[in-house]
Amino acid sequence: MKVKSNIDIAASPLRVSKRRVPRAMSDSGKMKKPDVKLVLLGDMNVGKTSLLHRYMERKFKETVSTVGGAFFLKQWGPYNISIWDTAGREQFHGLGSMYCRNAAAIILTYDVTNWQSLAELEERFLSLTDTANEDCIFAIVGNKADLTDPKALEAEEMEAEEEGAEQPPSHPASPTVLKQVKREDAIALYGRVLRYKAQDERACLPAERMCFETSAKTGYNVDLLFETLFDMVLPTILKKRSENSSPTVDLEECRGAKQTKAGCCS
Amino acid sequence: MSVKAFELVPAVERELLMGDKARINIECIECCGKHLYVGTNDCFIHHFLLEEHTTPKGKLAFSAEKLLHKYLGLKKPVNELKAASALDRLMVLCDNTVTVVDMVNLEAVASGGARIKGVLSFCVNENPVNGDPFCVEMAVIAAKRRTVQIYMVYEDRVQMVKEVSTPEQPCAICLDGYFLCLALSTQYMILNYNTGASQDLFPYDSEEKKPIVKRIGREEFLLAAPGGLGMFATADGISQRAPVNWSESVIGAAVCFPYVVALDEGFITVHSMLDQQLKQTLSFRDGHILQDFEGKVVLASTKAVYVLVPLPLERQIQDLLAGRRVEEALTLAEGAQRNIPKDKFQIMYRRILQQAGFIQFGQLQFLEAKEHFRKGQLDVRELISLYPLLLPSSSSFTRCHPPLHEFADLNHLAQGDQEKVQRCKLFLISYLREARSTEGANGCREDVDTALLKLYAEANHESLLDLLASDNACLLADSAPWLEKHRKYFALGLLYRYNGQDDTALQLWARVVDGELQDSTRSDLFEYVVDFLSFCSNLDLVWKYAEWALQKDQKVGVQIFTRRAVTEDQTGQMSPDAIIKYLHPYQEATLLYLEHQVLDRKVQKEKFHTHLAVLYLEKVLSLLSQSPVPDREVTEAREQLQNLLKESSLYRVQLLLGKLENTELLLERATLHGKLEEHDKALNILVHQLKDFPAAEHYCLWASASQEPSYRQRLFHLLLGVYLDPEAAIAPGDEHAHTVAAVDLLNRHAGAFDALSVLTLLPEAWSLELLRPFLSGALRSAMHARRTSQVALGLARAENLLLKHDRLKYRGGPVLVSEKKGCQLCHNTFTEPDCVCLPGGVPVHTHCAAQRARNSPRKQPSTTPSNHT
Ligand SMILES: Nc1nc2c(ncn2[C@@H]2O[C@H](COP(=O)(O)OP(=O)(O)OP(=O)(O)O)[C@@H](O)[C@H]2O)c(=O)[nH]1
Ligand SMILES: [Mg+2]
Repeated sequence: MKVKSNIDIAASPLRVSKRRVPRAMSDSGKMKKPDVKLVLLGDMNVGKTSLLHRYMERKFKETVSTVGGAFFLKQWGPYNISIWDTAGREQFHGLGSMYCRNAAAIILTYDVTNWQSLAELEERFLSLTDTANEDCIFAIVGNKADLTDPKALEAEEMEAEEEGAEQPPSHPASPTVLKQVKREDAIALYGRVLRYKAQDERACLPAERMCFETSAKTGYNVDLLFETLFDMVLPTILKKRSENSSPTVDLEECRGAKQTKAGCCS
Repeated sequence: MSVKAFELVPAVERELLMGDKARINIECIECCGKHLYVGTNDCFIHHFLLEEHTTPKGKLAFSAEKLLHKYLGLKKPVNELKAASALDRLMVLCDNTVTVVDMVNLEAVASGGARIKGVLSFCVNENPVNGDPFCVEMAVIAAKRRTVQIYMVYEDRVQMVKEVSTPEQPCAICLDGYFLCLALSTQYMILNYNTGASQDLFPYDSEEKKPIVKRIGREEFLLAAPGGLGMFATADGISQRAPVNWSESVIGAAVCFPYVVALDEGFITVHSMLDQQLKQTLSFRDGHILQDFEGKVVLASTKAVYVLVPLPLERQIQDLLAGRRVEEALTLAEGAQRNIPKDKFQIMYRRILQQAGFIQFGQLQFLEAKEHFRKGQLDVRELISLYPLLLPSSSSFTRCHPPLHEFADLNHLAQGDQEKVQRCKLFLISYLREARSTEGANGCREDVDTALLKLYAEANHESLLDLLASDNACLLADSAPWLEKHRKYFALGLLYRYNGQDDTALQLWARVVDGELQDSTRSDLFEYVVDFLSFCSNLDLVWKYAEWALQKDQKVGVQIFTRRAVTEDQTGQMSPDAIIKYLHPYQEATLLYLEHQVLDRKVQKEKFHTHLAVLYLEKVLSLLSQSPVPDREVTEAREQLQNLLKESSLYRVQLLLGKLENTELLLERATLHGKLEEHDKALNILVHQLKDFPAAEHYCLWASASQEPSYRQRLFHLLLGVYLDPEAAIAPGDEHAHTVAAVDLLNRHAGAFDALSVLTLLPEAWSLELLRPFLSGALRSAMHARRTSQVALGLARAENLLLKHDRLKYRGGPVLVSEKKGCQLCHNTFTEPDCVCLPGGVPVHTHCAAQRARNSPRKQPSTTPSNHT
């Protein structure tokens, strides 16, 4: 049974058009050279892997705690973006710095129902980002919003209707778990992150745009999160490309572009 | 899991190495081409020649031949061995000392310079930076001093070129270019010995667990990480691949693309670098060493040596496909792309794609199957051949061998599930359609089109007709029985037509029209056939089927002729005369054909007009002879007749008049008299016999339609005369009616009469009031005529006056013409005295003036301003 929540539909989040991503997971096998790197950091169990699954495969499924790390390649326009899912477990903590090396964006993930998971970001994970790019973009993401926020729950109903009601909502429609982390807490953390990175708060992206509350379970704000970040790292890609651009002509690269123009002899 | 990627094959058995001496263990190995060196804990180096051969069962096996063993005389274990085949040297680490010995006789190289002391471990640079082929680069961990030294090893000496210190004591080392990858006591790091730049990788407690550093390719290393991980790191300190998940107790690891092979206490594990999944586990007890030498993975327990032989990639892929693990198989194939020559890869990859497609096809995953068929450039006939009877019997196709799939045919695949069969058929339809519109059907268009035709016919698909009506390569011999079987006779006819067999097509269609064969494709098949015949250029066929068509329905059948494009040739088989003659037995058809000629095409031929008129007449007469008389039809038929009689002036009037002699068709007779200008007869009929005064009035208008007004006047007077004729035998009641008619006529057409002569005709008794409209009308028009002529007269006078004035003006003085004077128009001199004077008295030649008058647009010459008022 579906229970309509009493929230006005018009207030529901921006709908992002759905894209089918066939063989998304095995894309990594083809070893295309990624143009830019995005890293998900955060304590175990906050839902990093689930967020990536939701985005890449458009569904929520059972996960096992990540071992080591995993990565996905996402085609974004003409660019390949690699997204690293790291392991939150203490045991793999040491690998974090290496994953973050040269990252263009880092998603610091916590669980809105778990205060400690936010605290860990500052205590344990922030220092791992030392190896990231100088101009690395940070996003603070509170996951599992479906447990505390009726708005996030509703996303599922719409999604389910659209997908032919694959998975009927299995839990009560009204959120039952106490929200431990408020958005203001995340915004405050964002400010401290910038200070830690010695970045000028005024010159940086505003906290309002960089703090998200998401639900991997319902898909709430998930597309918005990733796609906002993709768009934000595009300048980094262009910068990197122009730095790397050599006088050598890459025939493979040029072929596609050339064909559209009329040849000089035609 | 469960790809069989490797097989463990024994290489050197225990007996050959240490026999039953229990204390002796293998410490290290080196393999270089066929040469295998084994170092033992009792300070021996054993040298074997390893030959590869295939057993009668087709398995790979090794036989080892012992060439030599050499005691180094130190009672210490031999720790490491490394061959430098270009130099024929073997580097040996024993008792913290590296010695360079001869590869063949294992004797130390003579001079004492070929020896390094205080060494914990060493490695050779497989990506050397110095270009000398007779020199090997080596990195050495100094035993106690927290330094790494770089040496150049020559045939007979070693030379240190660099020494770098490290933050902690290193315990494992690897070298690629200038990059040292080091395991320190608490972490891994990358160190560029040329620039001194370093990069921390990640923490690792080397005390607790033995670290692994392994070069796996250009500037990329594989490292043992906490939690039993195999981590990849580049020289830049970045991970480009996701880690693989080993066990905690891993001892050694190597890469044999696309797999990472690792050894732990009880097992060899095989992970794919492509998806990080564990693919195979082989049990291996007492494992001790796992190393790869030029792509060959060699393992050792403490007592024996084995080779881990990779199964051919294709075998692995086939195994995966057999397990229906399509994605994995494709990933494996794609991953191997750069290790296989391009054309060989293409062939292999295509086949795999095709197989993958068939697996998905079998699972009814049509979208994916289609994509794989397309990418694998599948011969469409492979797919068609799955469907029984679709390929033409004449097709030369045979399925590829070995087969691409396990299905005998569609029935086998569907296991009797009819719904599945249907879905497969729909898929094939869409697939073949696409193949037709792309290159996909190249070389086998006949097979494809024939198969498509059969599918369409069977499925009652509307596109069947489109296929046959457009450019196609359907095989007639194969398709015809199929279409017959499915009662697609109309379609079959189209196919015959496409193959130039119009006669057969028509024969078939005629049988359908006649109800001999059942096919409801077209309810208007008869019309279709007629239409076809009207275009058919084969006249023999047209005549052959025209009779059938006319007998079936004259009205439709005659369209064979009426729709036919008009040819220039008016005398041949298709000339109208010939057709009319042919149509003779079919009265209705003849009539329609003549109508077409006379009314539509407006052919001006007396014969046709007369014939048509006669036919119309006959129709009317035959209708009239029926009882009861069908009034409506008679009216219609007479209208047709009357129209023709009125409109046409080509028919033979006398002939028709003769035919009308004894009939009641008075109106028609009147019209005919009118045609002969026998108006009095006509009006007599209309007024006296028919008593139809409006018709009489109409007659006058019609008969004078294209004549002078006086003609009409004459007719009206004539009619008036008929109305007022006292001598005509008028029935008692008619007199009054005639009077009324006459008055009406006069009043209605007042202007058309000559009032004076009318007045003389009128009986005295008529009141003025009765004729008021006539009289006032007549008066008005008379007045009008009078005034108009007065105006005209005045204008003419005025014009005359103007001309006179001009004339007087021009006659003003004498006009001088001499031989010296030139004409103003042509500028030639005058030779004769005749001349014309232009206004102003200018003399010009007569012919010049005439010329000018002709050229001038104005005919009226007098436009010069007049001084008259
Ligand atoms: N209700 C709810 N549960 C979630 C959500 N996202 C993840 N979970 C659950 O949280 C648990 C952990 O999710 P994971 O995605 O494995 O967490 P992780 O951050 O990848 O954990 P590690 O890999 O150990 O670092 C799983 O049981 C998920 O089902 C969410 O949005 N809402
Ligand atoms: Mg995870």
